[in-house]
Amino acid sequence: MRPLDPRLLRYARSARRYVALTATLGVVTAALVVAQALLLAHALGRAVTDGVSLGALAPLVGWLAAVVGARALVVGVQERYAHRAATRAVAELREGVVDRAAALGPRRLAGGDAPALVTLATRGLDNLEPYFVRYLPQLVLAATVTPATLLVVLGLDWLSGVLVIATLPLVPLFMVLVGRLTQGRAERGLVAMQRLGAQVLDLLAGLPTLRAFGRERGPAARVRELGDAQRRATMGTLRIAFLSGMVLELLTTLSVALVAVAIGLRLVDGGMSLVTGLAVLVLAPEVFLPLRQVGAQFHAAADGVAAAEQAFAVLDEPAPAAGTVAAPDLRATTIQLVGLGVRATGGWAPRGLDATIEPGRVVALVGPSGAGKSTAVDALLGLLAPDEGRVLLGDVDARDLDRETLWSQVAWLPQRPVLEPGTLAAVVGGGSEGARLAAARLTGLSDVVATLPQGWQTQLGRGGSGLSVGQRQRVALTRALLADAPLVVLDEPSAHLDADGERVVLDAVEALRAAGRTVVLVAHRPSLLALADSVIAVQRADAADLGETVAA
Amino acid sequence: MTAPVPAAVPPLTLAPPRGTLRRAVALLEVDRRRAVEAVLLGALALGCSVALAAVAAWLIARASQMPPVLQLSVATVAVRAFGIGRGVLRYVERLVSHDLALRGMTTLRTSLYERLAAGAPAATLGLRRGDLLARVGADVDAIGDVVVRGLLPAGVAAVLGAGTSLAMGLLWPPAGFALAACLLLAGVVAPLLAARGARDAEHAALGARADAQAVALGVLEDAGPLAVAGRLRGELGALRAADVRVARATDRGAASSALAAAVGQLAVGLAVVAALVTGVPAVADGRLAAVTLAVVVLTPLAAFEATALLPAAAVQVQRSRAAAGRVLALLDAAADDPAAGGTTGVGGRREGGATSDIAGPGGDGPRDTHTASGSRTADDRVPAPTGGPRLVARGLAAGWPAREPAVAGVELELVPGRSLAIVGPSGAGKTTLLLTLAGLLPRHGGVLELDGTDIAHLDRSTVVAAVVASPEDAHVFGTTVLENLRVARGDVTPDEARAVLGRVGLDDWLAGLPDGVDTPIGPDARTVSGGERRRLLVARALLSPAPLLLLDEPAEHLDPDAADRLVTDLLSAAADGRGTVVVTHRLAPLGAADEVLWLSPGATRRGTHATLLATHADYREAVRREGAVAEGQDVAHR
Repeated sequence: MRPLDPRLLRYARSARRYVALTATLGVVTAALVVAQALLLAHALGRAVTDGVSLGALAPLVGWLAAVVGARALVVGVQERYAHRAATRAVAELREGVVDRAAALGPRRLAGGDAPALVTLATRGLDNLEPYFVRYLPQLVLAATVTPATLLVVLGLDWLSGVLVIATLPLVPLFMVLVGRLTQGRAERGLVAMQRLGAQVLDLLAGLPTLRAFGRERGPAARVRELGDAQRRATMGTLRIAFLSGMVLELLTTLSVALVAVAIGLRLVDGGMSLVTGLAVLVLAPEVFLPLRQVGAQFHAAADGVAAAEQAFAVLDEPAPAAGTVAAPDLRATTIQLVGLGVRATGGWAPRGLDATIEPGRVVALVGPSGAGKSTAVDALLGLLAPDEGRVLLGDVDARDLDRETLWSQVAWLPQRPVLEPGTLAAVVGGGSEGARLAAARLTGLSDVVATLPQGWQTQLGRGGSGLSVGQRQRVALTRALLADAPLVVLDEPSAHLDADGERVVLDAVEALRAAGRTVVLVAHRPSLLALADSVIAVQRADAADLGETVAA
Repeated sequence: MTAPVPAAVPPLTLAPPRGTLRRAVALLEVDRRRAVEAVLLGALALGCSVALAAVAAWLIARASQMPPVLQLSVATVAVRAFGIGRGVLRYVERLVSHDLALRGMTTLRTSLYERLAAGAPAATLGLRRGDLLARVGADVDAIGDVVVRGLLPAGVAAVLGAGTSLAMGLLWPPAGFALAACLLLAGVVAPLLAARGARDAEHAALGARADAQAVALGVLEDAGPLAVAGRLRGELGALRAADVRVARATDRGAASSALAAAVGQLAVGLAVVAALVTGVPAVADGRLAAVTLAVVVLTPLAAFEATALLPAAAVQVQRSRAAAGRVLALLDAAADDPAAGGTTGVGGRREGGATSDIAGPGGDGPRDTHTASGSRTADDRVPAPTGGPRLVARGLAAGWPAREPAVAGVELELVPGRSLAIVGPSGAGKTTLLLTLAGLLPRHGGVLELDGTDIAHLDRSTVVAAVVASPEDAHVFGTTVLENLRVARGDVTPDEARAVLGRVGLDDWLAGLPDGVDTPIGPDARTVSGGERRRLLVARALLSPAPLLLLDEPAEHLDPDAADRLVTDLLSAAADGRGTVVVTHRLAPLGAADEVLWLSPGATRRGTHATLLATHADYREAVRREGAVAEGQDVAHR
């Protein structure tokens, strides 16, 4: 893990100003720490050796108080801007990741790391806050206060300086050594911990099911057993993880103790002044303090750094190049899929797909689940570039298209309809109220609206919350009817609907056909196939059958 | 047919009532003796640093007076001993405190499980919605964290602060008082400010943060549809707007946080300056030894290590309080169970000896009481007058708690040997009715009796010995196929398992599994397709010893032919002495049912398939439509 990744400054602009501010404050802090130690040593030294009055020390004490105030101010300013910078940097990274992920397309989002990406964009990046607020300032102090105080100590008393310098490299050395030795064990422990934790949650999640069978009592003992096992695994990990902390503290405290003893012995000989001795005694712990803090904040920051690295990985992926050719008018353009093939886990889905979609016709894509029907739709809509073959709109390859000019001519009803928040009337859209009511009657949405107390003015939440899945399907279907897009793509429109709902879909497709619009249907149900002007079988090709080894 | 299920848990309140955290921490049942041990160890460890500073100050000041070296030897040894003691003691303390917290978390998890298991069934039905469950895991961790990062550090700081102030006070009373006051500033005022800052920021950002996460999730899940619909840019704008609101809210709390940090830093310097200002004149007057002055001035520099942790501890307490509020809300929802009233105590019996992964074999309540008597003969179609259990509903209204009933006026009677199909359009309340019939949801009205006794008054184990429901969203555990089936009955043998999987048409699937019935399947069955999962649930229900089975959409995700075959088989299974209710939306196989209950908004009809066809126009129409669809299928085949 790199303590400060330059990509962080590149991708999160807020981080730049914050790092600059923190660096400035770090230099100021170093100066103040040294000043405080010297002022304190002079005041105390003179009081102890000469027993001077407070009046004689007044200027020194006055300056000391001023330095104390200044340090408090610096700490306050640092904290004030740390939170702000953390929030903004997290926001910038989140926006960047979401934007890039969307540009990378559905295939990237359906990949194996999709859940990780969602976690990253929703909660994972929030872990950067401790990194910004706690870890980064200490890292800067380790780069400013540690060398500054060390130089002053060396200047005051070379022997103490050497003692500190001798210890200093041991700190990272032992940290790395202990880290190396414990890494494997800690990781195994972590995996065991996560597995055990997941099992307990699994039992909790299954509680309604266990209750339904009257078997809910037995597993309580199992929950306790799992908890105990988890505790043992965790403690095994911690016993080792805390070792590094112990070594660190042992080295630094012992080093300070040795410095104190060495000073004391030389003071007895008269080989050193008390003021110098006191200054070195006060400064010696300050050399180590930032390093100890970095060590202490390391674990809290590690999650954030890991999240940031995941984010950089996404941001470093080049976005697919967008085409520039405007899409032809789909009302008069034949779309062709030519030998279309897309790689999938364990083979190709689909492979060798040929289809001709003429304007105003109803074309159905059929095939077993996993054959690549929805993938074919994604390729048709330019959401992914096929690995083989081409999608042609008239004589334009979909790759060269300015995709937005295509999308503006398409109404797409995916398997799970996506509805924006707003009133039902606004979500459904449509020019006139008459058209809307007619479409709603056809799709059965009018029956749904009749049961809603606020009718068409009902507010839908994000994703259509407030409606059941079947009702959302009807809303989306009504919207597809009302949109004047020449190409309508319906992906399994009758899934999750009963016979009555299925009839609605049949009527809707008929209405679309009557309106002269092109319809591409992904369908399982035979009734829909009967309606299509042409039925195209989509097939997958398994790697095993092809005799090829699959990369990725 | 899936009615939107409300979360059975009350929404998280912004400010949990007073005493919330105390109640939650009490649930950890932390061992007091070990807690005291941890605090003392922590105080000793940090006390070593303080002592190191004090002795080093004494050593240097005394050495400057050039005494015989021998006088310094104790101090030189002590300094080194404190240097070692600090690291070692701190290591031991961290281990003790973490062990303490982890034990507490195990206890909390176990009692959470026990109370949810014994409490209102409705409280757990909502558990699987959204990330509630993942949050429960994180919340328990947060309550455990409050021990390690909140309470124990506070205890250490209190003990150490009192000890150091007292020691300094004995040397030079004004310095002792000043140190005590500054420690209060750093250990009480600063943490309060930090907690307020965190609370302000969190409250203000709560909505905006949730919005940002929801938009981000929405874009990632539906990037394609959003792009095609031309809404992607708008959604990214909404994300940016939500993030701006989060940033503004964070700024609101940052002032308090900044003040807290400044106060903490200021306190150290003030203690030093105060000791200096009060001590110097005393040394000049001869009231105070010069060497002691060095000790009282320099010791405070090391005395604030414990209090420096407290602002973060206060923020942790703040976060843990919210977590405690959510966990307790879950427990309270489970506790106010009207049905649990005079039946099973919340403490619950604990069946030991779990040899099965999930539920121990046997010993789970008095089951088989009915299966023994319910003579399973083929011609047991006449309701046995006293033999099997009899489930009777009259004018039954079912629905989710605190919602309008989804279905009302249900009349039915189920005895071993009878089969009943419940059908109706989407959203007619079929699943809700099933859960109510199984006693898993409190009824909204009407009568529901098992063997003549109101089901709400019966012990849960009595009900479950007679009636078992397998809802469509039943859980598939992250364990082997066999263990998943053993949820229904602990002593299912591999042969029985294979037989029942064959019966529901999963023999091909089973043959494809690498280790047969011993193959592990993922939590929530991500490695199993929708149709396979549904049939696995049916197989599990069939293995239950209960004489009355309630099955929810067993044939969903199957092609029509296979679906009809399975439903027919299940409805005919009544022949082997069971009473079966099948909720389905396929009408074709219903000829096999003894009775059909047709649910539709406003009108509930019952009768045989033939009678309903003859008398009920809607039913006839629905069957005709399904038939029309089937004809379409023939056309397509041609």
